[in-house]
Amino acid sequence: MAVIEYFRLAIRSLNSNKMRTALTMLGIIIGVAVTILVVAIGQGATKSVTDQINGLGTNLLMIRQGPREMRLTAASRNAPAQSQNTLTLLDSRTIAKQFPESILGVAPQVRGNVQVRLNGANATSTVLGSTPEYLVVNNFTMRAGRFFTNYEDQGNLKVCVVGNTVAENLTGKGETDLTGQILSVNKSNYTVIGMLAPKGTGTGGPDPDDVVMMPITPAMQRVLGVKNISGISIACTSPEMMPLAQQQITSLLRQRHHLHPPFPQNDDFQVMNQTDLLARSQSVTGTMTSLLTAVAIISLIVGGIGIMNIMLVSVTERTREVGIRKAIGATPRDILMQFLIEASIISVLGGIIGVVCGVLGTILLASIAGWSTMVSPTALGIALVVSASVGIFFGIYPARKAASMNPIQALRYE
Amino acid sequence: MDRSSDLLLCIRDVYKIYVMGGQEVRALDGVSLDVHVGEFVAVMGPSGSGKSTLMNLIGCLDVPDSGSYLIDGAEVSTLDEYELARIRNKKIGFVFQGFNLIARTTALENVELPLMYGRQKNRTERATAALTRVGLGDRLDHKSSELSGGQQQRVAIARAIVSQPRLILADEPTGNISTLQSEEIMQIFQELNEDGVTIVMVTHEEDIARHCKRRVEMRDGQVVSDQPIENRLLAKDVLLELKKPRESKVSVLLPGA
Ligand SMILES: Nc1ncnc2c1ncn2[C@@H]1O[C@H](COP(=O)(O)OP(=O)(O)O)[C@@H](O)[C@H]1O
Ligand SMILES: [Mg+2]
Repeated sequence: MAVIEYFRLAIRSLNSNKMRTALTMLGIIIGVAVTILVVAIGQGATKSVTDQINGLGTNLLMIRQGPREMRLTAASRNAPAQSQNTLTLLDSRTIAKQFPESILGVAPQVRGNVQVRLNGANATSTVLGSTPEYLVVNNFTMRAGRFFTNYEDQGNLKVCVVGNTVAENLTGKGETDLTGQILSVNKSNYTVIGMLAPKGTGTGGPDPDDVVMMPITPAMQRVLGVKNISGISIACTSPEMMPLAQQQITSLLRQRHHLHPPFPQNDDFQVMNQTDLLARSQSVTGTMTSLLTAVAIISLIVGGIGIMNIMLVSVTERTREVGIRKAIGATPRDILMQFLIEASIISVLGGIIGVVCGVLGTILLASIAGWSTMVSPTALGIALVVSASVGIFFGIYPARKAASMNPIQALRYE
Repeated sequence: MDRSSDLLLCIRDVYKIYVMGGQEVRALDGVSLDVHVGEFVAVMGPSGSGKSTLMNLIGCLDVPDSGSYLIDGAEVSTLDEYELARIRNKKIGFVFQGFNLIARTTALENVELPLMYGRQKNRTERATAALTRVGLGDRLDHKSSELSGGQQQRVAIARAIVSQPRLILADEPTGNISTLQSEEIMQIFQELNEDGVTIVMVTHEEDIARHCKRRVEMRDGQVVSDQPIENRLLAKDVLLELKKPRESKVSVLLPGA
């Protein structure tokens, strides 16, 4: 019998049992929609992180504390534990002085969470201490007022520059200019001398505009009370100079920190370029993606088991029908195909509806929660293929059961 | 007259034994039977005597434990499931006691099914013709739940004859329906038989059996008597009789008649 006939039979049978068909489909719909949603979120997050890193510029180097390897591995757990809090402001100043031919600007950074207050309104934010070079190195611009100067840094003066989100959180209005006002940071008063131009979020990551910037000296001494800096951003003179700069910085810091081979195992800092950052973020998002994929696969399997369950019930319920069909000349293959195509139609149709729901859900999530998402056609294709395969796989057992029925027993079945 | 050339069914010493709870049930206990083309056989006997088992065997729904069964010269026990399905589709039309239409499906779709499984063309026309022949030309799109018992049985007959089989097997086709409707069904069978279709029919009603040409009596899985039927009834005449009293009553009621 031609395949189109099996389709006609299957459609007729699904049509005469709409409720059962819809409920079975629901499992697959949910499975596929979840898959699409989850993959869209995962890919959106990956893309925004990648964009962020790419936005840093190609001649940027970052120095961070700690060994190069992830601290979770067994090897690094055995390594000396005092390899933290070693980067100092003097390290940063030395780097800035020593390599003028390869290094354009150096911005040491220190970060910490603070409580800010303005005219009785409270908010939590992040204080970021740095030097005036920060603007150049990190590509920041001002929306109003000015950035702080070296004079203000060396003088340990109480001035700050505020990001948009902080201003919005404190005043309840966007685009507010706080220049000239007094901002209380951890109960101590700072004069706002400028507003940072917004970097914008849409990343799902930390909000770059939720920041209070100030000279690094008051940030370390007055606000955070720390002796070490958390990192250094470095702009190189050109992309070609980067390997040289990386090498110069590494040997300088090893010498300054009195480190002994083997390297890089014994390093207590990392010098990373854009490629390193990308690789690192990809390993994180990769883990996230596999986790989400596992969730998606499980939900598809649950949907498939739902199909098998209903198809088994349906085979039992239609035992007599199978008997009649065999009595009038249906071959085992005819019966097998009918049930298998029923299962496939349920799963493919469910898959298509699931794709639509998943895409709509993704759009909704992006517009309501402001998450950045990315629906890739590949993910849609895979979801459809997988849902069809799930339907066929879980449809085979019930279909075979129906096909192998003894016609007489089937006809006697009540 | 040489009848070996038109021997349709040849059953020789067939056994079918079921074991139920350690106990042997001899459903067929050495049955031999020949049926020639054009015959109209009534199989009779008490409940449990093996009539349905014999019909299933003849209909290639089952194979005997031992013995030989040839249909149209082909030994059924040597055929595989696909060849059996083909014979059921092409050579045999089945009518069951329980009507056995597919639920939630129209009369036309039910009748088209054998043609579908037989990869035939012009299905709708042929199915419509078959339904018209059994007097249901105006009920094509009715589902089985919308038809009376007699009408459902006629749909089943249409389904049995649509692929123009040489043999019709009917297992108590009039078991669940009224006398008038039974008679209408017997009329259809008699017409089909006139056209050369061989019919084997199980019944336990003497009146129904008298419409056939030959009576086979079974008991405990064995054939105990096999005789031609004398004083055969014709459904056409019986129907006329059944309708007559009403007509005469009407004529009595008509003034001046
Ligand atoms: N599938 C089966 N399993 C067990 N016993 C069966 C089966 N089919 C028929 N029988 C037994 O075989 C005997 C004959 O059954 P059947 O042919 O249905 O009789 P009839 O149709 O004459 O009433 C009965 O005793 C019945 O219980
Ligand atoms: Mg019976």
